[in-house]
Amino acid sequence: MRRIIGICDLHNEPSLGELTAKRPLGAVTFLGRYGLIDFTLSNFSNSHIDRVYVLIKNGIVAIKRHVGSGSIWTNNTKLGFIELLINEKGLRYPSFNTDINNIQRNIPLDEADFDYAVIAPSYYLSSMDFRPIIEKHVKSGADVTCVYKHVDNADTDYFRADKFVVKDGKITKTSKNLGRVKEADISLDTFIVSKKILKKIVSDSVKVSELFSINDMINYYVEENALSVQGYEFEGYVVPILNLKNYVEHSLNLLNYHVRSLLMFKEWPIYTTTHNTPPALYGKDADVKNSFVANGAIIKGKVHNCIISRDVVVEKGAELKNCIIFTQTQVAKDVKLEYVLSDKNVVFKEVKKLQGDPDNIIVIKQGAKI
Amino acid sequence: MLNKNKVVAMILAGGKGTRLESLTKKTAKPAVSFAAKYRIIDFPLSNCANSGINVVGVLTQYESTLLDSYIGNGEKWGLNGVHCLMSTLAPRQTEEGANWYKGTADAITQNIDFLDNADPEYVVILSGDHIYKTSYAEMIKLHEDSKADVTISVIEVDLKEASRFGIMAVDNKDRIVEFQEKPKVPKSNLASMGVYVFTWKTLRKYLKKDDKDPNSDHDFGKNIIPNMLKDKCKLQAYRFKGYWRDVGTLASLHEANMDIALDKMELNLYDEDPTNRIYTEDIYSVPQYVGKNGRITRSIANQGAIILGDVDSCVISTGAIIESTSKLTRCVVMENATIKKGARIHNAIIAPGVTVEGDAVINVGSDDVVLIA
Repeated sequence: MRRIIGICDLHNEPSLGELTAKRPLGAVTFLGRYGLIDFTLSNFSNSHIDRVYVLIKNGIVAIKRHVGSGSIWTNNTKLGFIELLINEKGLRYPSFNTDINNIQRNIPLDEADFDYAVIAPSYYLSSMDFRPIIEKHVKSGADVTCVYKHVDNADTDYFRADKFVVKDGKITKTSKNLGRVKEADISLDTFIVSKKILKKIVSDSVKVSELFSINDMINYYVEENALSVQGYEFEGYVVPILNLKNYVEHSLNLLNYHVRSLLMFKEWPIYTTTHNTPPALYGKDADVKNSFVANGAIIKGKVHNCIISRDVVVEKGAELKNCIIFTQTQVAKDVKLEYVLSDKNVVFKEVKKLQGDPDNIIVIKQGAKI
Repeated sequence: MLNKNKVVAMILAGGKGTRLESLTKKTAKPAVSFAAKYRIIDFPLSNCANSGINVVGVLTQYESTLLDSYIGNGEKWGLNGVHCLMSTLAPRQTEEGANWYKGTADAITQNIDFLDNADPEYVVILSGDHIYKTSYAEMIKLHEDSKADVTISVIEVDLKEASRFGIMAVDNKDRIVEFQEKPKVPKSNLASMGVYVFTWKTLRKYLKKDDKDPNSDHDFGKNIIPNMLKDKCKLQAYRFKGYWRDVGTLASLHEANMDIALDKMELNLYDEDPTNRIYTEDIYSVPQYVGKNGRITRSIANQGAIILGDVDSCVISTGAIIESTSKLTRCVVMENATIKKGARIHNAIIAPGVTVEGDAVINVGSDDVVLIA
């Protein structure tokens, strides 16, 4: 049996502005209930990859609070684990705080008993079964397999993602997507490598550049034609979270049942941490349409096209349209919000009206009282 | 001894619950779902956890498979910690033979070894099918302070209804002087809730004695308590204040669900105090979704529910689907039930996994509760 480890790499996460000011992207709330990291951790879990390392650049507390002991994602809690790893040295020298240095410092590759590693980021959401990808990787004899997605919206959705030129299954060129074309093969920054190749990446990086990430190293191998790098086209649905606009648009898009059923399905559960919240409560005058409502929420006002997280209170007379509201936020009587994204623990009381628009959603900082 | 557990709770969860009709056909009553997210037994188990009771035995008998696996190692209620012990106790074969539990007291008698091992000072006897939130700590303190042999939790009921209960007559210090099981002429309005704190040594003695009595029903209410009263033991009443319901019938189960949906808040599930919450299993599903033409008012709904129809005064559980143009009032829709388009239902409990056909009209205009199973 092949021994596989999963590596969830949080080192190269894009910024979502205020939302990622105090937490890694992986810990950002999604659809009122999840953390973005849940998708990758659940993909490992559902693919029966039970030994998982999470490489954390900074903000370990937010990830630790969310992931906890990791037992939610682990099958056998004696054999499996989720370990949260930080590069302590990297905290002092931020430019050297790379995923490679994190692995080198924390995973003893010489002794570790695994044959292959699956490396995946937190910012591409999908329901991805790694098993057929590993199979194909092993059969092909390639040194590295990179998972990519053929997209027809590279001009709008995948700005600054890596794109590939794929010839006969081999990746021959990589470059940044600058949004000049619609169609492209976009890297999902998801890689399969053997232990030997992972060790090589780590040791080569010392010679090539100590500032390089795993991603940079693979691009380097492609450019130098130094390793055989294979592409694997993922056919499933992908939600890219590369910037705030992506986050908002895709969150609200997922209110559509058809879109949602492309990303999430019954046989591939997305596990997340539990908070012992009671069911959501709707008052006499509640007016809720086309919205997600998480448990613990108390809705007495109007909520249209919104995502309402855990323990949010919307008082009678309040009106919310096209809003994303994070946990424990309170919206008082007669407050009207449209295209507002509120981080957690916000109180809307004095402000009577906030109106953003689809291209300029108004973001309210964590803990603000307005 | 370090960290010896002074109190052990034993939860009686073996009853068949015949009055819940087919809801308990394959499910023990304590495992029946409640308030969209919970199972009934979550209440006494969470109460134990929140009272700092670490050792809990759950006595199961009727259709115990689902209940046993639900309880597991107690993790759902945090009862899997280093000083905890959570155990389901079903009848078993022993050197003396094999017996079913013949009554509530017999269920404890057959597990004297479990209690001897735990070696507590006090044993709390609870029922697995009551809905209430409490800390037993206050009751245990009263038991200790009053140096009682047994303390019985009582609740004030309407004198007119008192003949449905076990009634306690008390003196001015709330010492129990008389016990009447379902009396025609009740001497007080203090009804026993079936919640007891016993001094273990005393209870052990009475259980042994009861075990040898061929005429006994081996029941706490009918035998153990009257025997202790007869022997002039110290029986103390503990006056419970707050919301408490025995959900033994379809009507009472429905009514208790409505109390939550209609936000009466007598039983506050939304308590901000984290040590005063009810814990339960968490299901991996998306948050609940209310559709473009859906409407939900005066209701509670759990994650995973999909509401596309019109819902008023209802309880909508995990995975339930309410299709568009359907209209539900005063319904308890249990997990994974589906209500097809155009159906109209009033005052009903819809059992788990049931599909109600489109355009069905059920119980509309009736005040009686029906079960759709």
